[in-house]
Amino acid sequence: MEALLFFSVFVIATCGLIYELVAGTLASYLLGDSVTQFSTIIGAYLFAMGIGAWLSRFFKKELLSWFIQLEILVGLIGGISSAALFLLFEHALSFRLILYMLVGLTGILVGLELPLLMNILKNRYEFRDLVSRVFTFDYIGALLASIVFPLLLVPYLGLIRTSCFFGILNVLVAMIVLVKFRSEIKWAAYLKIKAVAVILFLSGIFFWANEIMTFSEGMAFRDPVIFTHSSPYQRIVLTRSKSDLRLYLNGNLQFSSADEYRYHEALVHPVMMYGGSRRKILILGGGDGMAARELLKYPEIEHITLVDLDPSMTRLFKENTLLTKLNSNSLLSPKLTIVNADAFQWLKENKETFNIAIIDFPDPGNYAVGKLYTTAFYRQLRHSLNDSSVIVVQSTSPYVAPKAFWCVNTTLLTCGYKTIPYHTYVPSFGEWGYVMASPAALYQQHDQLPEGLRYFAAGVFPQMRLFTADMDKRAVRPNQLNNQVLVQYFEDEWGKYQE
Amino acid sequence: MNGENTRSNTLTRKDFLRYMALIAGGSITVGQYVACQNKTDRYAHITGKINGASAAIGHRIREGSFPVPEVTTYTDTLIVGSGIAGLAAARKLQQQGIDFKVLELEPTPGGNAGFGKNAYAAYPLGAHYLPLPNLQHTALLELLEEAGMLTGYDAAGLPIYRETDLCFDPEERLFIHDRWQEGLVPQFGVQAAALSEIQRFLAEMERLRQVKGADQLFAFDIPVANSSADPVYTALDQISMRTWLEQKGYHSEELHWYLDYCCRDDYGADAAAISAWAGIHYFAGRKGKAANAESSQVLTWPEGNGRLMQHLLQFSKESLLPNSLVYQVTPAGDKVQVDYLDVHQGITKRIVADHCILAVPQFVGRRLLPARPPAANFVYSPWLVANITLDNIPAGSGYPLCWDNVVYKGRSLGYVNAQQQNISQISPDKQVITWYLPLDHLDPVNSRKYALGLDHAHWVKLIADDLAIAHRHIHALIRRIDVQVWGHGMIRPHPGFLTSQERHAVQQSGHSNIFFAHSDLSGISIFEEAFYHGNKAAENVIARRRS
Repeated sequence: MEALLFFSVFVIATCGLIYELVAGTLASYLLGDSVTQFSTIIGAYLFAMGIGAWLSRFFKKELLSWFIQLEILVGLIGGISSAALFLLFEHALSFRLILYMLVGLTGILVGLELPLLMNILKNRYEFRDLVSRVFTFDYIGALLASIVFPLLLVPYLGLIRTSCFFGILNVLVAMIVLVKFRSEIKWAAYLKIKAVAVILFLSGIFFWANEIMTFSEGMAFRDPVIFTHSSPYQRIVLTRSKSDLRLYLNGNLQFSSADEYRYHEALVHPVMMYGGSRRKILILGGGDGMAARELLKYPEIEHITLVDLDPSMTRLFKENTLLTKLNSNSLLSPKLTIVNADAFQWLKENKETFNIAIIDFPDPGNYAVGKLYTTAFYRQLRHSLNDSSVIVVQSTSPYVAPKAFWCVNTTLLTCGYKTIPYHTYVPSFGEWGYVMASPAALYQQHDQLPEGLRYFAAGVFPQMRLFTADMDKRAVRPNQLNNQVLVQYFEDEWGKYQE
Repeated sequence: MNGENTRSNTLTRKDFLRYMALIAGGSITVGQYVACQNKTDRYAHITGKINGASAAIGHRIREGSFPVPEVTTYTDTLIVGSGIAGLAAARKLQQQGIDFKVLELEPTPGGNAGFGKNAYAAYPLGAHYLPLPNLQHTALLELLEEAGMLTGYDAAGLPIYRETDLCFDPEERLFIHDRWQEGLVPQFGVQAAALSEIQRFLAEMERLRQVKGADQLFAFDIPVANSSADPVYTALDQISMRTWLEQKGYHSEELHWYLDYCCRDDYGADAAAISAWAGIHYFAGRKGKAANAESSQVLTWPEGNGRLMQHLLQFSKESLLPNSLVYQVTPAGDKVQVDYLDVHQGITKRIVADHCILAVPQFVGRRLLPARPPAANFVYSPWLVANITLDNIPAGSGYPLCWDNVVYKGRSLGYVNAQQQNISQISPDKQVITWYLPLDHLDPVNSRKYALGLDHAHWVKLIADDLAIAHRHIHALIRRIDVQVWGHGMIRPHPGFLTSQERHAVQQSGHSNIFFAHSDLSGISIFEEAFYHGNKAAENVIARRRS
């Protein structure tokens, strides 16, 4: 009997420290700056334990029943803590507030445990013995927790499962005490049901921990996630609300079905107005087939070559009916050839030339993608163009990242292209920029546009070429492989914008 | 209450010890389990092998006693050695239409500029970059232009380099105070006093970069032979770089580490073992400029200087005889007799030539010629270069993965991610990084012995643990480590060597038709010096043929 009670002390102590470690680790995962997170969590937790200890004086009767109640509650709250924090992270307005509230609550409950237990045991043991034994097992439990947490629990169980597991242990302590002392306990049956329910609940979380992780990731998106796929190159996520289908690559919005026509009409039709001959077209990137859809509105186009890195992207937009409805089955057109290859490498080996090239890469947010916006890239591209070919490059937001936008323009100028920078408003993106460029002087060669455009018209273009002072030309350096200034501009400007 | 529960039990000492033992036992078992998992699995899965210059075959020269050659052939100029010096000489002769042969001990040419290849990438086995050449070094600029790496000059006369040959950004990072910072000069967490000392040092190097001696030559230049002979500067060769730093009042730990790093990088030994002239030359000798790159940038390729070597090799492909151990070079009247062992056929052969270029280091060259005094002052730093194939390169915290990744106060010089020079977005299934270790923990002779005696498993442990300083869980990611031991990796410019009588004396072979060509003649083991000496030897041959 005695061993059992001291075993309970040991388990309680282990669980108590584990909850603290889980909260600290989770906070440093999610919020960063581990030194600050750990020390404030530990401080808050210990302080809350003090509050718990103080509160223990108000428990005077039915101590065993209260102890069992308490164990079940600690098990429940401690057990769900990490799952709850993961789920709430994206959702909550103030994650920190929730974090510290949860830490405080767990701390108070854990702080209550030992004083309560000592009160229960005070009539059964000599005081000197009692203090010595309770604290001995308390500290041994803490040692065990601090060793197994980093070495076994985090690597093999993960945070969600670890806290569930220890929550279950807490409730098991309650169950054992319940069974052993049933004669002394009021409301035994009620407590038993409660304990079993909590154990079942925590086991559920334990088994579905992975789903919870995925779901919490899904909540990073505004709308319900309807499709996810991790290819070797990127993570593709589709979300859908009543009126809107959105594509995210690596968490970055690529289009919203509500307004993508603005983006893609502005990408394709200006360059078609300025291109002389328009028979052979090259699309780099653009695996969603939206640019191809706009191009296929021109019957004189004989052939489109679409080079996109990721076969899972082009397959998705060829096969999924929701998406083929959006791109009007453009990727299945007999005029179109899909090449799944690295654009830079492909250009190096390509022998064909194209009248028009549409370059629709992801934003230059890292050094790998940054290579596709360098002087080396545009010089390589020149070999796949005629003297009179016209190209267009999607060039991020001139409002959010004016230096990055004008850097694309400067880079093209450095390579000897003539350019026309322009921009448009896409509600889901904000103000968005493009640079049209050609080895020869640029002038409008066609004024016939296809039927049925929803946004672009010949009369709109002069207006798109106007840049207000907040977006206007900046003095920037050309982007080269050996300086990658574009990535730096982009990170600086978008970083500040998102702060 | 039950009677038994009210029993006042004391926790006996025995009980207490029993509980403690139980818990201690449990913790130790868990700890051991985790540690075992780490230890047994940590290295066992890593494959690979040790490669090296063919020391065993080479050492046969020392033993002597080869049979008299039965086959004799003739050529105009015979080049011994196909490192950069030998290949540069060959290029020059080929351009002049002179008949020549190149004998090489190894199965493949290149020497320190050699490279390897596996299913995922080509990688350097030694030297792996070329700093932007000085504008006066026209021979080198012409070479780069010929190779297509220099595409022209801008209006101001500055060379324009092909962008894909310049080191891609981000270039360098340093792991210091548990974090990667940008650049190799320590900054992160460094005290303001040390930072200002570093600034003062770099400013002094900038001044010395432009300074000229009484003879109007740059005090420090590349090639070394073009540097000023003004004793104000050459006197710096008499003291060590570390002494110079102390004399000039540079005391900060960070700056001293940085200089140790630089000296180990270029000379294979720390600032205490390297002459101040050479230590300063590392900075002040480099005056390169470009229209489209910062002065401090370098040219580099996935296979390192193997790219430059392959360009040079085109000029001597048909004339190259690999697996040829030259054991004796004998002046015979107007001619030179070169005797060598064809390692594959196992027979000795003789080539009689009008001229001979010994593009080998002095420790080999002096054994080939009759009656040459030992080159005791010529000290060579042993090196280890490892190519590591791994699932992926962990990013680490702080500045992202760079071309050159160095750990502050690390034993090695860190690793180079040469594959960063690929333009592709798609990276292969596995990555290859190149790890550099100057073996300077003992004196060169003993370091060399140590390196040649170590087996693959030991290297694997040493290398993986060194990488784990910055990337804790890297062991599990490593698939293969190929180790290249360079017993005589590079000439070491120890104090007094560059100005020594001995170094000046060996510039001439003592025979009118035999010429030395190797970077060790400069005392600095860099591509530029090897190229310079190769060209110079070829020019001597050309001049002699005309006279």
